[in-house]
Amino acid sequence: MSTYRQELKSRFATLGIIILVVLAALLVRLWTIQVLNGESYAALAENNRVREISLEAPRGRIYDRNGVELVTNRAALAVSIDPSAEAIRPLVVRAQNDDTADDPTQAELKETFGELATMLGKTPEEIFERVADVNQEALRSRVVALDADMSVVAQLLERQEDFPWVQVEEVAVREYPNGSLAAHVLGYTGTISEEQYESSPEYAGYEIGDTVGKSGAELEFEGVLQGDKGWRRIEVNASGKPQGIVSEQAARPGNDIRLTIDIETQRVAEEQLAAALEEARKQEQYNARAGAVVAVDIATGEVLAMASQPTYDPSAFIGGISTEEWKTLNAKKSEYPLNNRAIMAAYPAASTFKAFTGIAGLEARITYENKPYYCGGRWTEMGAKWPKWCWRRSGHGTISFHNGVVQSCDTVFYEIGYEFYRREKEELQATARAFGLGSETGIDLPGEVAGRIPDIAWKKEFNRNYPEYQMWLPGDTVNMAIGQGDVLVTPLQLTMAYAGIANDGTVIRPHVLKEVLDSEGTPILTEEPQVLSETGVSDKSLAVMTRALVDVTEEGTARASFVGFDVTVAGKTGTAEVKGKDDYAWFVAFAPAKNPRYAVGLVIEQAGHGGAVAAPVARNVLAQLLGEPIVTVWATDDSR
Amino acid sequence: MPLVLWATLLVVYGSVMVASATTGMEGGRGMLIRHVVGIVVGIVALVVLWAIDYTKLRAWQGPLIALGVLLLVSPRIPGLSGTAKGATSWLEVFGVRLFQPSEPAKLIFIVVIAAAIAQYEGNIDRVRDVGRVLAYLFGAVVLIMLQPDLGTGLVFVAITIAMLIAGGMKGRYFAYLALASVLLVGGALAVDSTLDRIAGKDVALKDYQEDRLLVFLQPDRDPAGAGYNLAQAKIAIGSGGLTGKGLGSGTQSNLHFIPERHTDFIFAVLGEETGFFGAMLLLGVYLALLVSALAVATSSRDLYGALIAVGIIGMWLFQILENVGMTIGMMPITGIPLPFMSFGSSAMVTNLAAIGLLLSVWSRRYGT
Repeated sequence: MSTYRQELKSRFATLGIIILVVLAALLVRLWTIQVLNGESYAALAENNRVREISLEAPRGRIYDRNGVELVTNRAALAVSIDPSAEAIRPLVVRAQNDDTADDPTQAELKETFGELATMLGKTPEEIFERVADVNQEALRSRVVALDADMSVVAQLLERQEDFPWVQVEEVAVREYPNGSLAAHVLGYTGTISEEQYESSPEYAGYEIGDTVGKSGAELEFEGVLQGDKGWRRIEVNASGKPQGIVSEQAARPGNDIRLTIDIETQRVAEEQLAAALEEARKQEQYNARAGAVVAVDIATGEVLAMASQPTYDPSAFIGGISTEEWKTLNAKKSEYPLNNRAIMAAYPAASTFKAFTGIAGLEARITYENKPYYCGGRWTEMGAKWPKWCWRRSGHGTISFHNGVVQSCDTVFYEIGYEFYRREKEELQATARAFGLGSETGIDLPGEVAGRIPDIAWKKEFNRNYPEYQMWLPGDTVNMAIGQGDVLVTPLQLTMAYAGIANDGTVIRPHVLKEVLDSEGTPILTEEPQVLSETGVSDKSLAVMTRALVDVTEEGTARASFVGFDVTVAGKTGTAEVKGKDDYAWFVAFAPAKNPRYAVGLVIEQAGHGGAVAAPVARNVLAQLLGEPIVTVWATDDSR
Repeated sequence: MPLVLWATLLVVYGSVMVASATTGMEGGRGMLIRHVVGIVVGIVALVVLWAIDYTKLRAWQGPLIALGVLLLVSPRIPGLSGTAKGATSWLEVFGVRLFQPSEPAKLIFIVVIAAAIAQYEGNIDRVRDVGRVLAYLFGAVVLIMLQPDLGTGLVFVAITIAMLIAGGMKGRYFAYLALASVLLVGGALAVDSTLDRIAGKDVALKDYQEDRLLVFLQPDRDPAGAGYNLAQAKIAIGSGGLTGKGLGSGTQSNLHFIPERHTDFIFAVLGEETGFFGAMLLLGVYLALLVSALAVATSSRDLYGALIAVGIIGMWLFQILENVGMTIGMMPITGIPLPFMSFGSSAMVTNLAAIGLLLSVWSRRYGT
């Protein structure tokens, strides 16, 4: 045969070597994957196979001080849409991109959601707004209707093929047995926002789309109410279809809490405040639309009632609030109903401040109970160029300090204020601050504002860009003495300060949490009273002031409101002048005057004089607390 | 003849794996039956080819070429074609899928090109001779690209290379060819993407084919898309560890994470369920099979028979390398079945027929 026979051997050898090299290479590679890295691949396979879904923990319930349910949970049938479904996803993507021209058109939305919308009694746009909500984890299904009609639900379940992207599921939602009662204290819940989610370590372990407290107690006690999520590990196939449960851990429900609120007092406070607004409008105070009432237990600082008008319905937030409703709730026109005016709004204290000017004057020995003053209506001590007027332009004539408080005579307090100006020791500010005015009370509710007690340093800083306004003038102290000028206080602050007068000069920190309960209902945490400040004011000064405040309700500016009230009440009216607005009405009181138990304070925006509509509200809240009859006692008052 | 033993082992091993992979699959039982039918038909083909004297095939060069061309073109003939996964590679008559014509075409190609190379008597040192051999390859590849089926095209290339080595092509030509093919592939990709851009749509090479090639070079390019198959296959094989999860217990396989688990990705199922030992066993049997085939080549009484055996070795070795390699990230992903293991009657019949060819060469080793 030919010569290639010899050569063929080496060629076959070459092929043999190639075979060996190829198979050896595969084997080596398999060794590294299967043996050296087998464990990490096994973990990946396990990860592939098992999906963890979280089980939401039932949120803790909220009770009033007597165990009445204020917020609880109920099961609701939710109609939700899967945003990742084939028919839905492209629409969501187009709505969420930056190009607004690319947003789905009305016709497209109608085609997709039209029939469902008709069944649910909504518009296709409303439905899509929920579906395209960015404040939700991308894959979480979006609730478009809660408590849908059973016949609609049945229809949806029957026609699953027509709506493959619709799911009907049972979800737990908040329930408010008392409607909007105490809405500001309770707060509302909503989906955790991205800012909230990223803001603090408190929200570690939360997922986008979780329900969290957004305001009030729901927000303040979020950590207690939330509970711990459970999880369920399910085996899924490659398309994510569940094949079975691998293991699960049940959720631990959140703790229930008991508030200091007494729902019956709260009801009276809210009804009285609403009625007062109506009455004010009847008295031609047409702009009277907002106000706040606070009632506290003097010895413990427990808040028994806290009302704010206008109010809102927390159940509107269940299942997500519509943009339309949200806009309304945040509009100037609707007077910001979400704001809890008792702690989130600061007002000029007006004549209610005279109690502290008076105490400061007594302590500084500038004045005494029977010190005579003369009120001619026009007061020109600071010079004829800067006259000040008493609210009673005809003057009170000769009047004692005591009656100055009772009649709320401005001249008496101009004199005291002017004396403080001349002493240049800022003693008035010190006393006001000792009673907690101008700083947060530290109540366990979010969003409290500090208010303001002005002084030389503040004025200089406040006007740092306007040197000509930086100087502290006699008028500053004089205005402050009657609670005007730059004095700003919150209704709660002022109420606690009056409670401080009643409490022998000790100001207590107000709080709304009474107890945190475990699953058996046993308290595991009880909120104890805390002293906010010891004013150090002498018993004598407090007694002088209390006597004057009692006479305010017996013969002074508030007498009409307390006619026939069997318990002695110490109180003070106030009428705040606010630039560009009608006068704001104040009333603050505590009762019984001897052994005081309760303090009540309230402000009504643009309602005119304090004695007219404000004092009657306080009367009836105190009546509820002290077991007196609730009566209608609207009065007229022209004092300040 | 040990060849039969190794082939039998592989067929049994493959059947077990196909059974495991198709259990719980929709129509899994029917698939297993089809697999067995393929084996039976394959055995018939084996016996027939064994009986035929392979030397006689040389005289049929013209008709074989015609048959090969017909097979490769048939899927493109209206009324005869069926499409699967982007490639029109099925012969379909009245809606009934018959077989993948490119599978038997491989064997015809081997026989035809063996005759072409054998005429140079084991010494290919002229450019003209190289060109003539490559013309066969080029023709076949062009026809395959009509389907288009990149993987099968590469099998034809591998077959040709193996046969050129045995056929005595000079070393420097291999170097030239290697250089030319690198330039050609690079150029083709560049031209293709330019064409795509000009046309504004996907012309010539399909995008998914490009993707598969690029994913191989850059595995995390697109983990959810083209890289998904590779990632899931690697996870399956890796998680098999040393001993595997047991037949029918592969979670990657049973929960459908492995695509094409009973066909192209059967090795991933094997790797997951029988582990490194099972994979080593498979590669061992393959080694035995290839060595037996090489023994056939060395003992052939003429160059033509030896070249047929070498072509079959080239075909199997490349398919093993490519199929196993792609599941472990060594090779780009293409749709090539694993010899004797993958579900698929066309491939099974072809591989058993190849055994028949080898036996035909072996049985006639003592002639003149």
